[in-house]
Amino acid sequence: MSRDFDVCVIGSGAGGGPIAYRLAEAGYSVVVLEKGPWLSEQHFTKDELACCRRAVYTPELRDEQHVIEQADGAAGWQSTPTQVSGWNFWNGNCVGGSSNFMSGYFHRLKPVDFKLRSTFGPIDGANVADWPIEYADLEPYYDMTEHLIGVSGKADAHANSESRSSADFPFPPTLEHPISARIDQAAAQLGFHSLRVPRAILSQPAMGRRACEYSGFCGSFGCSSGAKGSSRAALLDHAVASGRCEIRAHAKVTGIISDARGRISSVEYFDHEGKTRRVDAGIYVVACQAIETSRLLLSSVGPRFPDGLANNHGQVGRNLLFSGGGAGSGDLVFDDHDAAETAAMRVVGPFVNRALDDWYTLDDPQLGRVKGGIIEFLWDHPNAVARAENAKWHDGELVWGGPLKRRLEAWFRTDRTLNFEVFNDWLPNDDCFVGLDGRVLDRWGSPVAKVRIGAHPQDQRVGRFLAAKGEQLLRQLGARRVASSVGPAPPANLQAGGCRFGNTAEAAVLDADCRAHEVENLFVSDGSFMPTGGSVPYTFTIYANSFRVADRIVAQLGGARGQA
Amino acid sequence: MIRRTGPDCAHPDPAASLAPLRNALLSRRRFLIQSAGGTVALLFGLRNTHAAEEQDPWPTLDVVLRHLLPSEPDSPGAAEINALDYLRFVVDDPKVSAEDRAFIVQGCQWLNELAQQTHASDFIGLDDQRREQLLRRTAASAAGENWLSTLISYLLESLLTAPAYGGNPDGIGWRWLSYVPGFPLPGPGTRYPELPL
Repeated sequence: MSRDFDVCVIGSGAGGGPIAYRLAEAGYSVVVLEKGPWLSEQHFTKDELACCRRAVYTPELRDEQHVIEQADGAAGWQSTPTQVSGWNFWNGNCVGGSSNFMSGYFHRLKPVDFKLRSTFGPIDGANVADWPIEYADLEPYYDMTEHLIGVSGKADAHANSESRSSADFPFPPTLEHPISARIDQAAAQLGFHSLRVPRAILSQPAMGRRACEYSGFCGSFGCSSGAKGSSRAALLDHAVASGRCEIRAHAKVTGIISDARGRISSVEYFDHEGKTRRVDAGIYVVACQAIETSRLLLSSVGPRFPDGLANNHGQVGRNLLFSGGGAGSGDLVFDDHDAAETAAMRVVGPFVNRALDDWYTLDDPQLGRVKGGIIEFLWDHPNAVARAENAKWHDGELVWGGPLKRRLEAWFRTDRTLNFEVFNDWLPNDDCFVGLDGRVLDRWGSPVAKVRIGAHPQDQRVGRFLAAKGEQLLRQLGARRVASSVGPAPPANLQAGGCRFGNTAEAAVLDADCRAHEVENLFVSDGSFMPTGGSVPYTFTIYANSFRVADRIVAQLGGARGQA
Repeated sequence: MIRRTGPDCAHPDPAASLAPLRNALLSRRRFLIQSAGGTVALLFGLRNTHAAEEQDPWPTLDVVLRHLLPSEPDSPGAAEINALDYLRFVVDDPKVSAEDRAFIVQGCQWLNELAQQTHASDFIGLDDQRREQLLRRTAASAAGENWLSTLISYLLESLLTAPAYGGNPDGIGWRWLSYVPGFPLPGPGTRYPELPL
């Protein structure tokens, strides 16, 4: 039977890119459908308006939004459309997805993350499950990711480090800021062990991409040198160059069509002109980021799937994950340091690249034996307007005129703020899931995702434990005004789960290969597969798993084809 | 970078911190507008909306911006950062919601009506002290505070965003605050209205 393509991938981020890259490399024809535009290095500048103050890389909330359900404090749930709250759950809708805008902290999961249930036992109110694969199954794909995406780092000995098949990273560490050595020193004084953080940023030119140019503007900005290992720069550009991968930007998929046998027969989408199009393929891969992946499956009803594609066991959308934890900060005041130290602190460009990984698992008198997490250090985000906005309020009153100007001078000139971010598990639970909203539609007339964001209280307990360690290190550095915040609100850019993988269709949407239990030609390759999320940012693991899934798809299609 | 921008989440990450402020502002304004029956005019209690709409708001906005960020010998004010031109860019920008854009202009008309009620003069006709008193009185109401907060936010954008957008000429705002911008900066062809979105 003639089909348009061998494989159709919906979504072009860290979940979709590896599939397109590897399948094209194996000789198969691939189409990638991406809702957003196709921007590249020449379009990305260090523009605070574009990155962070206008909806440029994300949809306008009046066109496309979410409905968020938060606990109302009285055992109920309050729904708020994000157009009303302004709480934006989009993270980058363009070719390459949110991987264009990541910071690229590339920590692997550790072996314990694959078996939390059997290691720590059940937790009341949480749906913790072991993964159907082990670290050893994913390790070769972490290694592959390091080489194909381009990870820069140094594999220093650390008591909590996981095993590696390559002795070291393929690229040396990115340049480091003078503060990094001071963090090492402060950590040692406290008996902590600082960890040099691997980054998905090229420290040397490679694979047709330039090296990092150290502008100091990385996270939340698109990369103008190509050094950042976005799915677009690292994978899709190569896949397209192979001649076997076609990217269709501005292609908004509205439904996956399935037939009477329960197989997918085609995908329906709107093109840039608003015309309805269809494309068919042998295998379909969904990778729209966790919330939108679940939404698309739930929206795609068919003769065998009255409640949504692959959802005859009611599992799609359940056990959505974010990242637990929070953040803290401290001000390094220039007057506390001599001229040389101050000059060093003012340096802009090189990376901090330091984390604390001493408490990935905990045995604490208050908390008991539980999973912990990591603490990542980074300079205050460089966005100037965002920083200045802090100066316009004082004691709840608006400030303007001369007083506003004096506050701006103090905020910008007298200190530099060092932040930390805590990453710990977001325990899967029955109050964190994706559904479809019955009232709010997007601009194409489809129901938007309704997301309930209930958090397990253990996440905050662990987060506070780790934040206290982060504060301790900032104080050791001599920082003033040290503070941290750990709460139940999820970070909208760290999404996983919703289509967990597992060995039975009753308890999991996907099998161990991330193929839908109920649909033989459907795979999901973004972070949706994760039954538990681990205590590090997700992108590295999404890439690695997607490379693993790509191998399974190649196998299902009969292996790599001989190429002309 | 974690992006925790929930409306209830006080987060020390300033990249994220703008969003909750703006969000609180927007949602509060929407609430106020809804409470007032759906129009900005009703929100501000305009008695003579038709007359107010006919008045050119830009001279008043110019004076308000200069008051909110005054010029000083060692530091730039609204005049030096081209704040008025920048605000015109904002008011013409479809990426800024129509509601926000209307709010900027109509709030100004309300300020003039308040000036007429209290001092029998347009805002421009008041001396510096009376302008300050009137703006303080404006800030005492939720709607007025939202309006002034919005103007200050755009003043700060005019002070600290890339000169290609019309404010911050030659990086005057960056130099004043010893701020090092990133590179490359947006310019002709890479400003966001010109991207192939």
